[in-house]
Amino acid sequence: MDIQFGTETEIGISRAIPENLDVVAESIALVRSATAPGVRMRWDYSCEDPHCDARGFRVKELLQDTDEANYFAQDAQRTLTFHEIKSDLVLRNGARFYNDHAHPEYCTPECSTLLEILQQDYAGDSVLMACAKALTQQSPNNPVLLYKNNTDFCGHSYGCHENYLMPRTLSWDVLSQAIIAFFVTRQIYCGAGKYGWEEEDKFVKHGFQISQRADFFSELQSVDTMQRRPIVNTRDEPHANNDRFRRFHVIIGDSNLSLYSNYLKIGTTSLVLQALLNGAPLERVPRVADPLHALKSISRDHTWRWICREIGGTKVTAIDIQRVYLQLVKEFCPSLEPEWKGVVTAWEKVLNDLEKDPLSTSDRLDWSAKHKLIEHFRESESLEPDNPWLRSLDLSYHLLDREQGLFYGLMEQGAFRLPFSFDEITCHSLCPPASTRAAVRGRCIEKFGSAVHATQWDYILVHGSHKKIELDLRNLFDANVIRHALKVISAAQSVDELAQLPFAKIV
Amino acid sequence: MPDRIQKPQPTVPGPGGGGGDGPRSPQVEKPNTDELLKRMRKVDPDQAKRYRQRTGQ
Repeated sequence: MDIQFGTETEIGISRAIPENLDVVAESIALVRSATAPGVRMRWDYSCEDPHCDARGFRVKELLQDTDEANYFAQDAQRTLTFHEIKSDLVLRNGARFYNDHAHPEYCTPECSTLLEILQQDYAGDSVLMACAKALTQQSPNNPVLLYKNNTDFCGHSYGCHENYLMPRTLSWDVLSQAIIAFFVTRQIYCGAGKYGWEEEDKFVKHGFQISQRADFFSELQSVDTMQRRPIVNTRDEPHANNDRFRRFHVIIGDSNLSLYSNYLKIGTTSLVLQALLNGAPLERVPRVADPLHALKSISRDHTWRWICREIGGTKVTAIDIQRVYLQLVKEFCPSLEPEWKGVVTAWEKVLNDLEKDPLSTSDRLDWSAKHKLIEHFRESESLEPDNPWLRSLDLSYHLLDREQGLFYGLMEQGAFRLPFSFDEITCHSLCPPASTRAAVRGRCIEKFGSAVHATQWDYILVHGSHKKIELDLRNLFDANVIRHALKVISAAQSVDELAQLPFAKIV
Repeated sequence: MPDRIQKPQPTVPGPGGGGGDGPRSPQVEKPNTDELLKRMRKVDPDQAKRYRQRTGQ
């Protein structure tokens, strides 16, 4: 595989008694309560630029810029500095944990295997739960509640973005056209399920749908992420060598609790991107006639037949469309490693099962597990379909609390298949992935954290005894170079010895 | 920063799971739904009504 990946997950935050809650203050306090090892407030914001568009231009402003300016003005009234409000923490696994306006956000380090991404995502959940516990100890009568979901049921959505770092050889035109039907239909196995239909800023009606996020997309392509969200986000900010790499920033996915759903989401998307990189032709890729309409109609289809129309008018199902992508992967990725062959097998199986009996996937997928569980409860309690308790149960499915969260209740019962053994996923304790530049970042943070002056995804600046040393990570994707660098860092007696790394320079 | 007492090694994917045959089946054949229903009854029916967030990304 030529692709590395990671996720950025915004978390919902509340209290058991949420009246008059300042979610921004709560989010700041939560992030600042972290005791996980790392370096705090060294993130360099000066090189971030979300205005660059992959279509080849730079937009003057984003739709959210006005809101951002207003939030900034409100935040200026607080007694904290900008850096204190953000409270960025770079963890020893190479992850980033910070306050993104009103949501704690955990960004995994760069991963190159599916086991790694599941390990890193799980580690993030553990960090979040530890923070909630610490903050709750300060006010035990009003516990902090964290939700790994994407909505408040009143039209306010927050994301779980995926990032796929890939060679820039695939043109944006081909990528952006080829991926739309895939994104419209992959929700049938990676949707997290939702009791309620919404629009921007409002609840519409009760009713189950398979996706949390489908209600919030109204454009095919754009650089925006907070308003009029697009199916394909055009942000062009690789955090790597711009000439060689593209970071495909995917904003349309749901936050998954199910490890299997997450495995399929990242795994199938990576495979489709790899097939396109390997030359899968655009003319063989499915084209949906009205993708924005299809996105919502598939999510809300209570028959779970998921019919939509291709350009030309032919009726097809979301499963048919997914099978075309699956076939392209089989043809254009013929020499996959066993881990990736496993994704192909799991993908094919889940499509077959969704066709035969959608709820038979409740041992794997978030949406079907949630639906089966809550409908069982609804029947046992004789609740009407519009009872608001159902939305509270939906919310509780996403609660990051092993004793109370409904997802964790199902896990405890052994109700979920796992893509790897539970021990493999959970036993690594905030280690960075071994094969990516995140290992270099994580090792430097762990060993020379107090010397770190500034950091970003693609560089680390450290104070030496007489000079500053910059580690340029923009081209650090060769496993052999990474392995050698880790040896140098492990052997280093002082931070000055980092200067001998091949990607170091004195500044 | 000195080396910490715990020195985790970068992870190396193990041989189990994720092989060419796809993921494994659940370990438990029949979930105990009574325990889950108890957990669900403890959920405040109005929790979602009172849950408000700011729009994120």
